[in-house]
Amino acid sequence: MSLLPRLPCFARQFSSSAARFLATPVDKKPVLNKEFKIYRWNPDEPAKKPTLQSYTIDLNQTGPMILDALIKIKNEVDPTLTFRRSCREGICGSCAMNIDGQNTLACLCRIDRKEGKDTKIYPLPHMYVVKDLVPDLTLFYKQYKSIKPYLQNPEPPADGKEFLQSPEDRKKLDGMYECILCACCSTSCPSYWWNQDEYLGPATLMQAYRWIADSRDSHTAERKEVLQNEMSLYRCHTIFNCSRTCPKGLNPALAIAKIKMELAAD
Amino acid sequence: MSVRRSGLQKEVLSLYRRALRIPRTKPPHTRAKWDLMLRYKFHKQAATATAREVNIIEFLLRTGRREVSTYEDKSVTDCWVSEDMRAWGEQRTKTN
Repeated sequence: MSLLPRLPCFARQFSSSAARFLATPVDKKPVLNKEFKIYRWNPDEPAKKPTLQSYTIDLNQTGPMILDALIKIKNEVDPTLTFRRSCREGICGSCAMNIDGQNTLACLCRIDRKEGKDTKIYPLPHMYVVKDLVPDLTLFYKQYKSIKPYLQNPEPPADGKEFLQSPEDRKKLDGMYECILCACCSTSCPSYWWNQDEYLGPATLMQAYRWIADSRDSHTAERKEVLQNEMSLYRCHTIFNCSRTCPKGLNPALAIAKIKMELAAD
Repeated sequence: MSVRRSGLQKEVLSLYRRALRIPRTKPPHTRAKWDLMLRYKFHKQAATATAREVNIIEFLLRTGRREVSTYEDKSVTDCWVSEDMRAWGEQRTKTN
């Protein structure tokens, strides 16, 4: 037998919890129906115009976020509804869509519980639609690739292991490295809408500056040189839609302003 | 006199031309297959839209461009030809 003295069990168990002693079971939550109007378009029938399809679900039977509602609709009402989702906590950037006129992540956007108000959900604006809420981001990723988003430094690190950085230099990357490339900002930018093929867009430009600002990267001059033309960078007219819409609370407009400043100083 | 073509027609034809230039970049023994597959795909898809359905044509152009750029990739060396494609190809050589 153990040497510890036997203690009477004071820990609270379920059988002694308050709910157990209620005479009547807890009332079921009231029904709170809400209408979701969701953009639908099926590539298998390209002749059909895109439509808004409406779904009504009980908010008290679903989670608090738009993504929960979408998943509930897909599971229980209409399995043909198509959207991207993955992490459901705002770190993957898959579920970017236009909710009530605002580009945001469905997993970070709370459902408006006001009664009698519907929520409209569209894919990201001014992008080609693959199906329903899935936009074609090929060009966006191609632009991101074009800025070479990786460390370029032919010199091996001094200690042969890793490039060191002072805390101050590291601080310069705060507010930029957190970007998850959800494309909310780029697709909210009117400049990007009209010049997608040549203007890089806020998300890509912020990443460009993230590598320009990195003290470990030695190709800063080349990176700046690439942006030194009419279209890639200077199509930004400081509209600030990007900073307003960013679901991660970052400020792409500030990064673009800093690039402009550095380019002007050259 | 040459035919006056609309911008959309030119785009469709240039996509077809781009597709038809793919086989010559592939290994010799696969070229016939590539040629048949690309022709089949183009003609089948083109038949789904009439000349007036501009938005469908634009949609087909978009998806077609993406498909063609996948085939253009150097690492893609071979393709598969279905029974349907073979039958279609034979039919075509007979009538022409």
